[in-house]
Amino acid sequence: MTPQQPPSDSTSRRSFVQLAIGWSVAALAAAASSGAAVRFLVPNVLYEPSLRFKAGKPDDFPDGSVTFLEDERVFIVRQGNTYRCLSAVCTHLGCTVGRSELGFHCPCHGSSFDEQGKVKGGPAPRALEWFMVTLSKDRHLLVDKNERVDAEKYLVL
Amino acid sequence: MKAWKWFEGSRVGRSVFRVGIPRSNLERAQAMVSSFLLHVQPAKVNRRTLRPATTLGLGLISLYLLGILTVTGILLMFYYVPATDRAYDAMKDLQYVVSAGLVIRNMHRWAAHLMVLFVMLHLCRVFYTGAYKRPREFNWLVGIALFLLTLGLSFTGYLLPWDQLAFWAITVGANIAAYAPVVGPELKFLILGGNSVGQEALIRFYTLHVIVLPALMAFMVSVHLWRVRKDGGLARPEEGADRLERIDVEHLPTNKSYGLMELTRSTSLQVGKNPEDEVFSWPHLVFREMLLLLAVIAVVLFLAVFWNAPLEEVANAIHPPNPAKAPWYFLGLQELVSYSAFWGGVVAPAVLVTALVMLPYLDRQAVGAGRWFARERRLANTVFTIFLIIAVVLTVIGSVFRGPNWGWVKPWAQPPAVTEGH
Ligand code: HEM
Ligand code: FES
Repeated sequence: MTPQQPPSDSTSRRSFVQLAIGWSVAALAAAASSGAAVRFLVPNVLYEPSLRFKAGKPDDFPDGSVTFLEDERVFIVRQGNTYRCLSAVCTHLGCTVGRSELGFHCPCHGSSFDEQGKVKGGPAPRALEWFMVTLSKDRHLLVDKNERVDAEKYLVL
Repeated sequence: MKAWKWFEGSRVGRSVFRVGIPRSNLERAQAMVSSFLLHVQPAKVNRRTLRPATTLGLGLISLYLLGILTVTGILLMFYYVPATDRAYDAMKDLQYVVSAGLVIRNMHRWAAHLMVLFVMLHLCRVFYTGAYKRPREFNWLVGIALFLLTLGLSFTGYLLPWDQLAFWAITVGANIAAYAPVVGPELKFLILGGNSVGQEALIRFYTLHVIVLPALMAFMVSVHLWRVRKDGGLARPEEGADRLERIDVEHLPTNKSYGLMELTRSTSLQVGKNPEDEVFSWPHLVFREMLLLLAVIAVVLFLAVFWNAPLEEVANAIHPPNPAKAPWYFLGLQELVSYSAFWGGVVAPAVLVTALVMLPYLDRQAVGAGRWFARERRLANTVFTIFLIIAVVLTVIGSVFRGPNWGWVKPWAQPPAVTEGH
């Protein structure tokens, strides 16, 4: 048995490199697998009503009407030859708002909104959202909930 | 009795129970050490541990409730189907068709509410007795994880009946999450597995509720109880662990070989313990624990037999109830959210949890551990009490003083006619 040598510079440097490589590989593996696991949990396909949908023919909505579409939770607002689409999802905590004399009213915690979706009272922090309305090739109103627009933006037919 | 004596003495009996019913002090110690279920606890405990006033048994009650929840929850799983078109029917079946289904569902629901309550009370007990102080800081952290897990389990379980209450409580809860800075909307999408509460959300909550969170809970509870043991049992006033801090190392007797070992916190050495204060766990501790278990089961059963867990109409995404309320333990938050969603829904809970996490590291002075409302801790106790009162007041307001449109109601007056928004 040779007596134990105190670790020389080169051996401690080697063990440092080994440690560094070992830990980096482990950290990388951990990061990659947790990243993959989180990504796995973000669904790529949704079976809920599409965010882009056909709301119906323009003439289905009488002049001056505000029509509630249940499945999509939106109102289609027609004035003359202009069309707009207003979200019925309260900006407070996501309840479905209904019509009121003022405009719209949320039953959950009493937020109220005017005809333009602006907050008139209650805890809602933001105005109701307006969505982009276009006309599809087969002349249906096409709403895209991914695309938010100003209240002043109309589809004119 | 004779038959039992014969069984205990038989080969099979001895192989199962080893010690049998202890008849001597030696056997009393052996009974604790040789049984898997009992060895979690020491063979002897301090007299203080047995006094109800020491812990009020709150941690133990939480543990028992967790046990009841596990058993009844597994039973419910035999009938429950996590599908939006079947979940509600499964609940109705449990209530009206399945034998004993109603009582088991009621037990699960009432035990869940009680568990949230008792975990909170246990947290308060640990605070007011200063039991989170060194060396128990880490167990306090484990406790906070348990508290959050308890809330998580209750919240995920809330959605499963798929009735109006469930649907809108989860909608409101998930939208509180959406106010988190930067990742809020993404977080909500991840929780719900989509943009709104639907089938994807149901299966997610179900998976979390029946396997992910219970598994984490089982692990953390094991760590928690193990730590209670490793930290030398329950926190005791000064003559216990705290005395170690004050031993001046220079004055330690050097002629004794265990002089330095006296400084260890290991449970094998009876450091700082007066043998006079120690009693055998069997039967003194075990008996009291079993008695408490019986009492907890009795109370839950009593509630379950006389009061039915609520089940409203089937979930309806178009007609929110007025008012839509989160589960009671979140109503304080919801009350805050009704003033400001960001401050109430994000900042307040974040600050609260951070403060709880940092507490044992900020409040480092050792005095006052193991005593209720120690005078030396007047400042800490006052601050905590103020927060507690605020939380209770907000919760009470949110629960009973808020009616339709989140407007003020007097709970003792006639319930106002609910006007639907549609
Ligand atoms: C699932 C929830 C929980 C269970 C089942 C549980 C169980 C227990 C049990 C059985 C004890 C023994 C003493 C007693 O009965 O009070 C204990 C002690 C303790 N718990 Fe918990 N607990 C839970 C949550 C918490 C929470 C939320 C905290 C605080 C944030 C906490 C912090 C502690 C500490 C520091 C001790 C040691 C107390 C002492 O030494 O006097 N636990 N726990
Ligand atoms: S969700 Fe509309 S006011 Fe709260």
